[in-house]
Amino acid sequence: MTSLLSASGIRKSFGGIVALNDVTLEVQKSKITALIGPNGAGKTTLFNVLTGFDTSDSGEITFDGERSDHLAAWKIAQLGVVRTFQTPVGFPTMSVWENLVVAGSNTKWNTPVAAVFQRARARQEEKRISAKAAELLDDLGLASLIDSRLEELSAGDRKLVEFARQLMCEPRLLLLDEPAAGVNPEHMNRLSDLIRQIHDSGIGVLVIDHNLSFVLEVADYVYVLANGEVISEGTPAQVSEDPTVRSVYLGVS
Amino acid sequence: MTSPLFWVSVLTLAFIYASVTMVLNVEAGWGGMWDLGVVGLMAVGAYTYGITTANDEGLTTKFQPGWPIWLGILAAMAVTGIVAFLIGLPALRLRREYFLITTFAFAEVFRQLAVIQADITNGTVGFNRLQRPFESVVSGSNYNYVLLLIAVLVAALVFALTFAISRSPYGRALRSMRDNEAAVLSVGIGVSRLRLQTFVMAGVVLGGIAPVYLWWTRSLVPQLFIPDFTFVAWTALVIGGMGSRVGPFLGAIFLITFTELVRLVDVPPEQIKLLIGFQPIAIGLLLILVLRFRPEGLFPERNAFGSRSRAAEIS
Repeated sequence: MTSLLSASGIRKSFGGIVALNDVTLEVQKSKITALIGPNGAGKTTLFNVLTGFDTSDSGEITFDGERSDHLAAWKIAQLGVVRTFQTPVGFPTMSVWENLVVAGSNTKWNTPVAAVFQRARARQEEKRISAKAAELLDDLGLASLIDSRLEELSAGDRKLVEFARQLMCEPRLLLLDEPAAGVNPEHMNRLSDLIRQIHDSGIGVLVIDHNLSFVLEVADYVYVLANGEVISEGTPAQVSEDPTVRSVYLGVS
Repeated sequence: MTSPLFWVSVLTLAFIYASVTMVLNVEAGWGGMWDLGVVGLMAVGAYTYGITTANDEGLTTKFQPGWPIWLGILAAMAVTGIVAFLIGLPALRLRREYFLITTFAFAEVFRQLAVIQADITNGTVGFNRLQRPFESVVSGSNYNYVLLLIAVLVAALVFALTFAISRSPYGRALRSMRDNEAAVLSVGIGVSRLRLQTFVMAGVVLGGIAPVYLWWTRSLVPQLFIPDFTFVAWTALVIGGMGSRVGPFLGAIFLITFTELVRLVDVPPEQIKLLIGFQPIAIGLLLILVLRFRPEGLFPERNAFGSRSRAAEIS
């Protein structure tokens, strides 16, 4: 049992409000892990802390055996811990193709000097990245939108592009922030298939959502967060039977 | 008044402004860094050039290495790049209007320093005998044509640079950073490094443009570096089209020739002040018209990137 990502004793407060209180969780590569909880439970705060977009007050985070807290967000992303955002804004003025290629490019080309003196090599590498982007978009059924500006896309398509963009980074662990939000219920199956596909290709997955049926369907292991604390964890079956979860989360007493 | 020399002079200035505007476009148009201190970096470059190449017996300033022109230009580029780095370290932690205020303040501070540090800069008197290239070969009014040629060449170089950037991974990273900083971080791109590199590059290039500007003005005084310079470059950028490839260049050429046309209006000598006062009004009016009828500028960015660039790059 190797855990890809583990967080222990994470605390975070904003002013007097405790957003995360001693949160401990583990993501294993072999299991699609989900984090559920009502609005305001601290799910996104935890995501931000895990991905370096926010710092915790205390606690330890390790990715693949090495400490990753105190690293900048972009460095954590380079390690292979890649997140999506709840609102998939992306790069609105750029084409879908550009959105993907930015993410797939090696950052060593991102200098003015390389822009002038290493054009041929960068162009060559771009062809490879470009082909990968085209393939990914094809898989997601977005091939026809490759040249559209991102802001012209529907919310659902933008969500898929967000997926594709983050996959271009070749993540080792993908953190999905509310992938089901705003997705047409008819497409929900396609979404869970996609997440399983990603996982089957060898990428660890951590999903946040508050759509319980979706999470229970897709996840292998579930953490339930309420008021900044993990109140329950286990398989989807175990969690859905847990009386504490039912009372806090489902409002059933 | 409408002698060819007048137009040569106006065009030279227009090409100088075009170069500056194209640099600003990389920073602000693509990188989203709203730099209002362009003139400050120009001033650093200009003073570095003026001081290191000063060759005037009457000068009493402390530091006069009397370097040749080419070395003065290199020094101007290097020093301006270093100054940009030093300003960039703290300023680039700020965003949008806060970055704008900081860069603006830097430019003003530098101008005041140029006035106060008279033992190095010769204060408000400045430098009036600047070394200009090829002046010994081409003399008199013909020199103006040489200067125009230099300005055109510099603008062509800067255009080539910005064009290369626009088609590079670096340029794309800049635009994505402008569009969404969080998303750019989430794909593993370090934003602060990108911003600092861009600011330093802008410094180096502006440091190279500054001597050409001096050759045109023929004297180096603090008054050259009032904020108006920055505002004109910004207006040219907005009129031409922020983020477009050709827009900043054409916007500057158009704006400078348009406002210099005002000078051609025949007025009695006692009203000449009024006419000069009309120049900023003309710029403002033009800006309002463009923003009202073409808010993305005459050459919008959306025509510059996207599908066509992809098609070109894939094949």
